[in-house]
This record gives sequence, C-alpha cells and structure tokens, in this order.
Amino acid sequence: MGQTITQKILARVGDRDHVTPGENYPVRPDYMIAYDFPGYTDRFFRQMKEDFGVTKVADPDRYVLFIDHMLTNKNEREAEVHQVTRDWATENGVHFHEGEGIGHQVAAELGYAMPGHFLIHFDGHISSLGAFGALGMGVRRDLLEGWVTGGIHLDVPASTRFHLTGSFAPGVESRDLIHRIISDIGADGVAFQVMEYTGPGAETMALGQRQALCGMAMFAGGVSAIFNPDEMSLEYSRKVAQHDFEPLYSDPDAEYTARYDIDLDALSPQIVMPGSARAANTRDVTEVGGQKIQRAFIGSCASGRIEDIRAAAGVLKGERVAPGVELNVVPTSRRIYEQAESEGLLQTLRDAGAHVVESTCDFCFGYAKPLEAGEACVSTGVLNISGRMGSPDADIYMGSATTVAASALTGRLTDPREVVAP
Amino acid sequence: MTAETTTPPQVIADVLHGRVAWIFGDDHDIDLMIGVQNIKYTDPEHLHSVCMKAYEDDFTDKVREGDWLVGGRNFGYGHPHYVAMTAMRNEGIVGVVAESFSPGFWRGEVSNGMPLLTVPGISTAVERWDDLEVDWRTATVRVPAKGLELVGQPLNQRTQDMIAAGGRYALLLAEHGRG
Repeated sequence: MGQTITQKILARVGDRDHVTPGENYPVRPDYMIAYDFPGYTDRFFRQMKEDFGVTKVADPDRYVLFIDHMLTNKNEREAEVHQVTRDWATENGVHFHEGEGIGHQVAAELGYAMPGHFLIHFDGHISSLGAFGALGMGVRRDLLEGWVTGGIHLDVPASTRFHLTGSFAPGVESRDLIHRIISDIGADGVAFQVMEYTGPGAETMALGQRQALCGMAMFAGGVSAIFNPDEMSLEYSRKVAQHDFEPLYSDPDAEYTARYDIDLDALSPQIVMPGSARAANTRDVTEVGGQKIQRAFIGSCASGRIEDIRAAAGVLKGERVAPGVELNVVPTSRRIYEQAESEGLLQTLRDAGAHVVESTCDFCFGYAKPLEAGEACVSTGVLNISGRMGSPDADIYMGSATTVAASALTGRLTDPREVVAP
Repeated sequence: MTAETTTPPQVIADVLHGRVAWIFGDDHDIDLMIGVQNIKYTDPEHLHSVCMKAYEDDFTDKVREGDWLVGGRNFGYGHPHYVAMTAMRNEGIVGVVAESFSPGFWRGEVSNGMPLLTVPGISTAVERWDDLEVDWRTATVRVPAKGLELVGQPLNQRTQDMIAAGGRYALLLAEHGRG
C-alpha cells in the first residue's frame, strides 16, 4: 500500500520507513515556530529555564520566533512583551523576525516551509504552509515539549482527499471553497485528519489562494492541509530555499479516509454568518445581500496576500468606499505590502478611501481598532466568533477579499459578481 | 528527542464516579460557558461568578467535585480559550464525554490532564444528573442505574500517560525536569 505525502513527511521526521495513521511516536520537526504572546512564549521561556534547566537550546537552528501580534497600541505592555522575546532569542541564538509581517506568511517567504518539511507551532494556522508541500501542525501548548526535548509525540493523522477540477470563476476564490467544503461535510468533516488537495484545479490555484485554503483547515476539523508540490510551488520554493530539499509526493495508491470531487467552476461567493464557521452558518452571498455593514477588513494570515489585494483594488479602482464604512486593508507581510505598493494597488485602495496599514495580526483578533457594540463587519479574518474583533455585541461576517471589497463599496453585503466584470 | 527515563506518576484514578452535570449540543463553543466577554479573566472568583450563567443561574450551586460534562459532536469547536475549562475544573468537573471532539480543543485539554472521551451515543443515552462510572483508559462509560455500558475510542498509551500524570507538563517534568 502506498503512502500519502503526510505519512511520508511524518515517517521522515520520525526516522521510520513507513507509518500508519493512528500510530503515536516522537518526531523531530524541521522547525518549531511561535509568535510571542503573553501566556505562551513568556511562560515557555520561564518554564524552560526554571523547571527544565534549559538556559540555552541545544539546536537553535530549528527554533523560529516572530513578532507579529500586539504591534499597534504602542504602549508599555507591548514593549515589555516584545523585549522578553528579543532577549530570549538573542540569548539562545534562534531565528527571530520582527516587523516583517505575519509569521505564517513570512515563514514561507524566508524558506522555512520547504517541500517535505514538518513544522509545528502553537497556532493551528501554521497549516497554511501546506501550500508548499510542507506539513504544518498546530500543537497548542504542547509546543513546549518540542522546545524542551527537540521532539514531539504525535498521532499520525489519516488523510481525506479533495480532488479539484476547473478553476475559480471571476469573483470566486479559495475562501469560498473552504466554506463551501465546511458547509458540505460539516465542521468536523475531516476531524483529526489532513486535508489533501489534488487534481488539475489544485494546480491552477495561485499560491496565496492555496495558503488561505490550507490555513483554514481547522474549521473543517482538520489538523492540517497540504498540496503535493507542483511546478508553481517548486518554482517558489527554489527561490526562497535556504537549504537543499527533497519534495515528497503521495503515492498513486495511497489510502484516504474519503475522497471528495469538487468542480471549482461551480462555486459561488460565500458568506459565513456571525458566530462561527460551523456548517449551518455558511450562506451563498445572494441569500444575505442587503445586510448593512459599518466595518470591512482585508488581511490576516489567511487573506491579505497579493492576490487578495489585487482583487480588492480591482473592485475599488476609481470608486469610493460607501459613506459610513471603514475599510482597513492590512497586507499579510511587509514584502506583500511593498509589492502591492509597487503595483500601485495600495494607492488605488487609499484613493478609494481605505486605510492601508502595515502588516500585523492585530485587526484579526480585535486588538487594533476593535469593533464597537452594534457594528457589523465583513472580514477576511480567520474567525468570526462573538468578541473576536472587539465587542461581543458586534457581528462579524466572513468572506473573500473580493466580497469584502464589493461590500465596502456598497455598504451592504454584496455579491462581488455584481461589481466585478466577468 | 524524548526518552522516558522515569515511570510517570499517576494522579488520577483509572475509574471515576460522578454525575452528568450538563449535556451540550453539537459544535459546542466552550467560551460560551463563561461568556465571551470573560475569556481574558483568570481570577477564580470571577470565573466562578460567571460560570454557566447564560445556561442556568444556579449551576455552580448544583455542580460538585467529580462531575462530568457530556457533549454532542465536535465538542470544543470555535476558538477554544483555556480559561473556560479552567473555570469548569474549578467547579469540580473532571472530564468530558462527547460524541466527538474538535481536534484543537481535544489536544489542548488532554494536555491539561483532563480525560476527554469520545463515546458515540453518549449524548442521547444519558440524562442530566445520571450517575456515571467512567473508566477513562478504555473510554468505557457505565450508567449503573440504567444498566447501560457504552464503549468509545480508547486513548493511546501516550495520551493515557499524560492524563495519568496530570497533564503534559507534569509528564514532561517527570521525564525531563530538573528533578
């Protein structure tokens, strides 16, 4: 019996020839990543030193720290949190990146997510690195096991295959696909499994779209998501690689728990109703068009990539955001910001009345410009639970960057196909 | 890499007795147990004052040490913050038996030493305040008064060791701590 790409990666980092879903054993991740956040990294640093006697990590090359949260209030607490991280990174000689953007994106840009690599983080959106044929897994506070011991015990997950054909119609993208999948298979449809995207439709998809798709795996119950490397992703990987790499691929006779065939041409723009991404909350945008909004957000580790900003600028070029609507656009990384600036996209958005902000996670979790009670926001953030972006009495609707831009233009939830030329 | 150098301690009995304190539905978002506006609090008294208020005003008067929560499918879905289950543990809740769990929640709370048992059929087989006998290592739930026994998915050895030790941290300390 053949193996999936996930099995091959977890066999490689576990020093095994073959692994079976359900097995539990310690693996040695290629990179163990975190962003600094109170209660996580500061606590880990203290515990490692005081309880485990780790005053300097043994293999610093496998540790990566980002500063991407808590950047925008510019207060003493932020300064303290980040200084603790800088000091620990310096003392331990680990990889450390500040001011470069959201770590889940910067990890790709800096070549940490090589095809065949295995990466862990306490945050599950690390799964976005599956776009490059790497396996990223969120392990919550179990990251400490990796940081203390160099390895982590894992259950080998089974995989479900999503075979994609066709390509996205104008105004439709991978955020619409993931929410359609959740709607169809349920919010636990692939519980404890890896979502593997295959087929000609997968190969047509831009890398940023793949990252968004993989990064949202947790909301279908997935522990990760992955694409097999193809020419598009390998070209990117070769450009950013810090080391040689050996891509891994699923065998043709690999075993999957289930297979779903999806025609991308048949998809339409989706809106996720406030509360959560659970299946019953996904609607075709035409069903909820007309809902007024006061706030709009394009950004996050899932969306806010160059494809998203191009799409938003395409909608808003020569137009103005509706009166009474605040649109914040936060490119996912500094590089994306610079690219969007050089393409004239950010000026287009500013001219349309958008606030363009340097890369940060802060808007997505309600730290920057929190929503006020009674406000309705349409967002490309990763989460729309009550209180996520500010007041628990504000409503968060989620959609693609195109849908958010179209909605910002009209001041109500809007099918982007109404304002995007076919 | 990890190397088990000592026998992990055991701080929880293999078989536990307690009542069903509440039965939640599918896709249960645990933050709602304390209210989203309270997820950044850690003060036990505050958590006690808000625990389950949206569900029942006097829940915290009725619940007692050793009780269990029962859930539907995908228990813990959403963006689970640790503080909700901390509040429940403060009230005496020892574990959750559900039809299934959301993986991120499951990993986070098993790591905190809480037995989270996947037992299909549990949410319709039991009623509130039923007395349970739970063998968490084998995911076996008995309801003596009803003559019922449900057997779920047993936990693997590593997970059993972790729960027995009182959580990932305690297990790591036993295996790798300064001693």
